[in-house]
Amino acid sequence: MSVLDLDHVFFLLIVNIGIAVLWGNRPFVGKILTLLYILEGLSILTSYHVLLSGAVLSSSLTFTVMQQTVQWQLGVSGGFFALITFMAAGLATWFSSGVWARSYAPIRLLHSYMALNVAAMLLLLASNDFLGLFIAWELVSLVSFLIIAINGGRSAKAAYSYILYAFLGAMAILLALIIIWNATNSFSYVEVRHHWSTMSVNRQLIVVLLLITGFGIKMAILPFHRWQAPAYAYVPAPVAAFLGAISSRMGLFALFIVLLQVVGIDVIQTLWLPFEIINMQTFLLWLAALTLIIPTFIALRQTDARLLLAWHGIGQGGFMLLGILSANALGTAGGIMHVFNHASYQAALFFAVFSVSYRTGTADLDRLGGLVTRMPISFTVMLVGIIGLAGLPPMNGFVSKWLIYKALLDEGMPLLFLAAVIGTLGTILSVYKLIHNTFLGQLRLEHENIKEVPWSMSIPMMILASIVFITGYFPGLLLESIAAMQSTLGISVVDYHLGGVNTGKGNLNMIVVVSTMLMAIGMGALIFFVLGNPRKQVTQWDNYAGGHFLTSDMRYQYSHNFYPGLMRVISPLYRNTIFWLESAIVSTVQFMAHISYALFMQANYLLYLILLVVISLLWVLAV
Amino acid sequence: MQDSLILLVVLPLLLAFLLPVIARYLGNLSGLTGSLLLLFNILLLANAWNSVGYSPKVILLGGFAAPLGIVFYIDKLNMLFAILTTIIALLLWPCRTHNTDVREYVLWLLLLAGCYGVILSGDLFNIYVFYELLAVASYGLVTLPATGASYIAGFRYLMISALGSAFALLGIALIYSFTGSVNIAHLAQIIPDHLHHIWGYSAALLLIIGFGVKAELFPVNFWVAEVYSHADKRVTALLAGVVSKIAVLIILRFIILLFPWQDIFNFLLLLGIIGVIVGEFAAFYAQDLLRLLAFSSIAQSGLVIIAFACATEAGIMAGIALAIHHLLLKPALFLLASHCDRSINDLAGLAKSSPWASALFVILALSLLGVPPLPGFWAKLLLLQSLMAEQYLLLLVLVLLATIVEAAYLFRLFMLFYQRQEMPEQKRITIQGQELYPVITLSGILLLGLFFLPLFMDSLREIAMQTSNIEAYINTVLGKVQHIGEGNI
Repeated sequence: MSVLDLDHVFFLLIVNIGIAVLWGNRPFVGKILTLLYILEGLSILTSYHVLLSGAVLSSSLTFTVMQQTVQWQLGVSGGFFALITFMAAGLATWFSSGVWARSYAPIRLLHSYMALNVAAMLLLLASNDFLGLFIAWELVSLVSFLIIAINGGRSAKAAYSYILYAFLGAMAILLALIIIWNATNSFSYVEVRHHWSTMSVNRQLIVVLLLITGFGIKMAILPFHRWQAPAYAYVPAPVAAFLGAISSRMGLFALFIVLLQVVGIDVIQTLWLPFEIINMQTFLLWLAALTLIIPTFIALRQTDARLLLAWHGIGQGGFMLLGILSANALGTAGGIMHVFNHASYQAALFFAVFSVSYRTGTADLDRLGGLVTRMPISFTVMLVGIIGLAGLPPMNGFVSKWLIYKALLDEGMPLLFLAAVIGTLGTILSVYKLIHNTFLGQLRLEHENIKEVPWSMSIPMMILASIVFITGYFPGLLLESIAAMQSTLGISVVDYHLGGVNTGKGNLNMIVVVSTMLMAIGMGALIFFVLGNPRKQVTQWDNYAGGHFLTSDMRYQYSHNFYPGLMRVISPLYRNTIFWLESAIVSTVQFMAHISYALFMQANYLLYLILLVVISLLWVLAV
Repeated sequence: MQDSLILLVVLPLLLAFLLPVIARYLGNLSGLTGSLLLLFNILLLANAWNSVGYSPKVILLGGFAAPLGIVFYIDKLNMLFAILTTIIALLLWPCRTHNTDVREYVLWLLLLAGCYGVILSGDLFNIYVFYELLAVASYGLVTLPATGASYIAGFRYLMISALGSAFALLGIALIYSFTGSVNIAHLAQIIPDHLHHIWGYSAALLLIIGFGVKAELFPVNFWVAEVYSHADKRVTALLAGVVSKIAVLIILRFIILLFPWQDIFNFLLLLGIIGVIVGEFAAFYAQDLLRLLAFSSIAQSGLVIIAFACATEAGIMAGIALAIHHLLLKPALFLLASHCDRSINDLAGLAKSSPWASALFVILALSLLGVPPLPGFWAKLLLLQSLMAEQYLLLLVLVLLATIVEAAYLFRLFMLFYQRQEMPEQKRITIQGQELYPVITLSGILLLGLFFLPLFMDSLREIAMQTSNIEAYINTVLGKVQHIGEGNI
């Protein structure tokens, strides 16, 4: 195994970008790009055992400036995230490689931007010090801006709002880096960690808060959550799946590295906010919990399936942060595992939703229904996906969420556990709404001739769905690299086996759980189909209500204003505070801009200036 | 060897006087003589660059020793700015336009002579004289388009410049009346200790405000937007890129050598940060591209001022880096924008009609914004580091917030460029040939310079060290053993 394995990947990525830019319009190119992404993923996977043993894949990409050597090398954490990135990019490109590409004119832009995004993300994941991290971070922001703005119109607007938030974040990070540099004279993780305590406590606090703000903006942490949902929803299908799966996790990766590796969770635990109101760790945990709850309940209100999923993406980010910050072997394992799990089911869900909108032309949950017989594969994929998103067995989302619940309880944080449960409750409610309004109930008349999407689109979906199931069945597959990650970071390591984890107080073995479930379901099916009464197949429009026959043109799909009782209770809580704040800031900036401009446009400016001088001269003479 | 550097000032002046005669015989070719002169100057400077080395040199004019005689002071910083001035001037030299009036060449040459003189002079009075020469030449150049708007802009410029010159002269007079000297090295021995009272402060403020006019310093920069949006684009590029940086250089010399007092630094920091904030906000509001660039140039000058006002080695280094970056970048941006002198909304879809120019504009503007790994980022990083080293946290935050405003208007611009709507045929803007060649050279220097970043940083650090060494300056000019009396205080 060569040492410079990462160079191969970088080379392949450059080839990838080249092909996408030069021949992105050709019909076959999507398949070639898919193969390349798979190849890149494989080239990391083949040397994955090196990473698991704690070594790194180094690259020849390096430079020295300000006595700092910046180099790029991939550790196991970066490798794990890189694999998710290649999975998401590969399957998204596969999805767009066939029939779908014919319906999308700027396909070349899409392929190029996707390749650029993957390359920038890999640079970020392989960065090895703050300078490299910041350079890659800005590149990721720029290329994300490009890919978000791809559709123009609404998506361009969302991209603009994204880039402003991203710059706010970047400036926060830059400030933190400068403060760190001032104290430690270094950008390298090791040096900074070593000299961390030379900073005063106030500085430490400021730096941690700035880093949380900066990296948190990418994962739309509260109160910076407003940009993400429109940015991820109004893009074409493969982009939505890619962004929803991995893009905002870059923020989580950076936070994970910085908080756990550089700052250290022990430092976070000993930092207090001013006046000792609240411990830093508790503060961040509650921030994560709010990031889980509020966006999830905003998702519950959405009537556009894409927005609903995008808002859930933000909420699940809060879940991951909750796990990582719990400072518990199970919790960090759950948080990191949830990154993979979320990527897999979120991409599957986006594919399913976009398949429906590809066929029906809409993702509006008020205008769909009953598609289960027309698009059975999409339905199955969505079913698997929502079970994962809701965190129910037998899918992979259950395992990570279970680990996080368990960690919160073990660490003696029952209120946070409650918050996590409330978040999950909101998730379950809204994913039910999603699948019900799309696939169940009455089929609309105009959807009578809808067909399942072509294979080029359904195969990637099915692959994702099976990943969701398999990693739920054998969570040990993921836990192996997570344990390696924990040991390289020097935090407590999760005790895992193929089926799950061993804890002191009880084990989780998914193989047993899932097998039992499958057996129970099989038993039920056996009773239902073999022993049950004979059944009669009826058409989807053979409906009765209150003893009356319902014709197909009579709408009997209960979709608009879902959960009215719940909404009556909680709707006063939606206050749009952040929206209000955002517009206040925009107005202030415009006001200031107008004043500044007017200042320069003064006709008698010189007169005022001379007056000012005369007055100050008089003042000087008087003194 | 170094004495030949005096030709930098003499030759342009000579040619300026001879050119009307030469033009009679050579016609349009007379423009070429100017280009040749600039080439010669580059050779001269390149030749002298290595021989200057680590120890600064001094040229005695007329053979009298300082402080009585007139001196040219030559160190790496001065040489660097002289070289950059020459390169930019050569790139912007108007000889390719066919019907260039000979008077335009004369004005350019006078402007350049003024620039070299200001850079190299070692005493206040000569700096003032060359500064006036530069100013008068630039009034003429600004009004060259001979449109109503350019006359009004030129008049505005003239008024404010006149005020500035009056201030500067007043400051010099004050200093002379207290010390009896105008030689900077001599003054550097006297002023910091013996004039540390209200009159010293007054002189300092008068000089700073006076030279601040060209440096786009905050309260005396209201001519900038008008002049830059109505003057000839090459002149604009020269004023925004070179002349403003030379004025900042003078201010740097003043605060290092003559007025090294914390109050003055604070005053400059205040003006600088107000300049940054007001400039970025005004650019956010600006509705045409040239004004937008002009306001952003005000903000960038503010950044340079802030860096210099840290008055530390790191600050000087950051300031020089920012100044060089802006000096190379702004002319390119102004040239790219030279056809876009209308509302920015007319630029929607520019990327369709001139894809390369828009891409170049975006890259350069990103560098202006300080996006890594473009050169602007490293300059900005140096600035932030030097601010942090002095614990100016509030300033740091304000600079970063101003960058977000900058990002807001630049990205709005980019999105307009790349909007998918087609530009109407009659309004189509294209950027071609003549402007593109200096632009490509400048951005080439910038982007290729990125590969020599560590080397560049090292030499910058050296230059900053040399610049902040007051002892060396005094000793070089006055001679090591010679200690002139403290004047008639």
